[in-house]
Amino acid sequence: MNTILVRKKWIPYLWLLPSIVLMSVFVVFPILIVFRLAFSEISRAGVVGGFTGLDNFVAAVQDKAFGTVMGNTAIWVVSVVGLSTVLGFIVAMALNTEFFGRKIVRSIVIFPWATSLVIQASVWNYIIKYEYGNLNNVLLNLGIIKTAVNWRLTYQIEFAWECGIGIFVTIPFVTFCVLSGLQSIDAAYYEAATVDGAGFWKKLRHITLPLVRPSLTVSTVLNIIYVFNSFPIVYTITKGAPANKTDTMVTLLYMRAFYDQQKGPATAMSVIGFVILCIAAGAYMMLSMRKEEDL
Amino acid sequence: MRKIVAMLLVVMMALSCAAFVSAEDTITLDVIICQYGPKTEDWFLGTGMDGTNFVAKFEAENPGIKLNLDVVSWNDVYTEVSTRISNNKAPDILNIDVFANYAAEGLLLPVKEYCSEELFNDFFPSFIAQSVIDDTVWAVPDLASARALYYNIDLLKEAGVEKVPATWAELEDACQAIIDFYGGEVYPWGIDMTTDEGQAAFSYYVWNNDGGFVDADGNIAVNSEKNVEAIEFAIGLYNKGYTNPNPATQTRYDLQDMFGAGKLAMVIAPNQLPDYLAQKGYEGINFATAALPVNEGANPGATGVMDRVMAFKDDSLSAEEDAARKEAIGKFLTFFYAPENYVGWVSMEGFLPAVNSSVAALVEANPSFEAWLKVLDSCQFYPTSLDNWDAIKMGVINVEQNALTGGDVKTLLDELQATLVK
Repeated sequence: MNTILVRKKWIPYLWLLPSIVLMSVFVVFPILIVFRLAFSEISRAGVVGGFTGLDNFVAAVQDKAFGTVMGNTAIWVVSVVGLSTVLGFIVAMALNTEFFGRKIVRSIVIFPWATSLVIQASVWNYIIKYEYGNLNNVLLNLGIIKTAVNWRLTYQIEFAWECGIGIFVTIPFVTFCVLSGLQSIDAAYYEAATVDGAGFWKKLRHITLPLVRPSLTVSTVLNIIYVFNSFPIVYTITKGAPANKTDTMVTLLYMRAFYDQQKGPATAMSVIGFVILCIAAGAYMMLSMRKEEDL
Repeated sequence: MRKIVAMLLVVMMALSCAAFVSAEDTITLDVIICQYGPKTEDWFLGTGMDGTNFVAKFEAENPGIKLNLDVVSWNDVYTEVSTRISNNKAPDILNIDVFANYAAEGLLLPVKEYCSEELFNDFFPSFIAQSVIDDTVWAVPDLASARALYYNIDLLKEAGVEKVPATWAELEDACQAIIDFYGGEVYPWGIDMTTDEGQAAFSYYVWNNDGGFVDADGNIAVNSEKNVEAIEFAIGLYNKGYTNPNPATQTRYDLQDMFGAGKLAMVIAPNQLPDYLAQKGYEGINFATAALPVNEGANPGATGVMDRVMAFKDDSLSAEEDAARKEAIGKFLTFFYAPENYVGWVSMEGFLPAVNSSVAALVEANPSFEAWLKVLDSCQFYPTSLDNWDAIKMGVINVEQNALTGGDVKTLLDELQATLVK
């Protein structure tokens, strides 16, 4: 009897073991290495030296581009996660209604998410090209514009494009997270609300939103992490140019590590990013969970 | 049956011993080669070397030496090398552009320790001089390219530009004439100030205004008056609307494509441009080359770019093993630079040679090489023997990009100088 109890107690851990091992090898171990490197001296060629205390962190924060890039990162994460969540929610609501060809539309919506980010970014790069871009070609052929437009006139516009592309590729993920939440809502709630005279907005506010909140929390937390760490879009479109003005934290640290050969400060930046992410994602989860408990 | 099994076992043991012995006698060299173009990988690892490849041919001619050769793209090579160094797995032989970082940190072998004297004397002395720190040669050149001004003859002619611009003043006049005639349909002048090659743009202007990355004594002098004047001139071309619209994100390849499509009238590009245009299928472009425009009264300065081959130290080896390894590295170089192999390598991607022994064969195959070799003679090269060359390079690109968005060139260069010499 006792043995069975012991076995029962350990069996879940046994099932978890492969995941724990994989996580340790591919997640925890690299994180520990990055932390060690952030406190080590790293030569320009990449030779790892001794402990340097907070030198790398000081150098990272004193980097002339650090302030701009932190601002860019905040705009990037808030705009991409925020707008893709709103738009993804709307698309999910639309896809949750019955209409002809719904299955096909659902399949099409997944395309941007299923395609490699580098390819997507490269394709967008061609679309918005001034000289031979598809956007200019289409608009010229349709007679909407008479001469080609430089869609990348200033770096602010280029950064806005990057955010727009980020939103475009993130919408499907939010859509499918919310859609799964919407499909699990019992239709009886809506019927009861209709009987009580509730309109669309009241149903949305008092039934839909509270019941899809768990799905939204998951998609938002994961998106904060993905978008903060997203590298291909900015790197493919502008490489942070001009002079780091369109860089986000991740592209800046890559440029510092492998173009400027400042590997110590670059590693420190990645630790700073990791801490910011932990705090942001943790705070969002705690707030969401508290609201759920309040319900 | 048992006897047969026993015999088989004995034979297998004998074979495994033989394999062990031969494995002991074999030296494996880890080699990283940069991908210069679409044919590089095929030449080294596929069938691009007359049906065979470099590795197979080398291993057949040098029994006892195996090559573990990777062809890595230029985008990834710096990441690859520094990751390997961080993990104590530096390659034995590396082909890349920079060397000073590695030499300064004691990671490289002096060339004289593995390169035969005959081969060493075959290199162009002016090239070898670019890889010297403290009187020691740390790397050998594998190839070079030189830059020139390419201009679209028809576009200039139609716009009424009769003389190819040789000075900055003439260049501005030509640009204005092209703008006046084509009204923005054609960009007069191409500028690449991207992180890919913004340092080349810097050199095109400062070297044609008697400036430079360093002063006459070799000290960093990025903020000299001449440099400020040169970069202000380049940024002025952009501000006046004479250039491609996005110099911070439009790379040399974008410019070459625009030139090929007849959208750009003049561009500074390497000697491989004709090959590039042919490969990409641009036809009907009537173009010619000229020297880079120079500021009135300044000495002309052509830009040369050179890449290198270097060998890393391996402190874990015994003296005997180390000697054998150096000998193997030497054999690799001798084989690589042998005219029957090297001529194919250099001409394959349209580069210029670094050794005398291949010049005759190359000129015979392509007579236009001779003119380029003369340009190469007068070329200036980046000061890659400075161990903070990476910082200088990225620093000047940063200055250019800041200036493109309205920053003051002098202030920016002064700040960069202060950062570089602190």
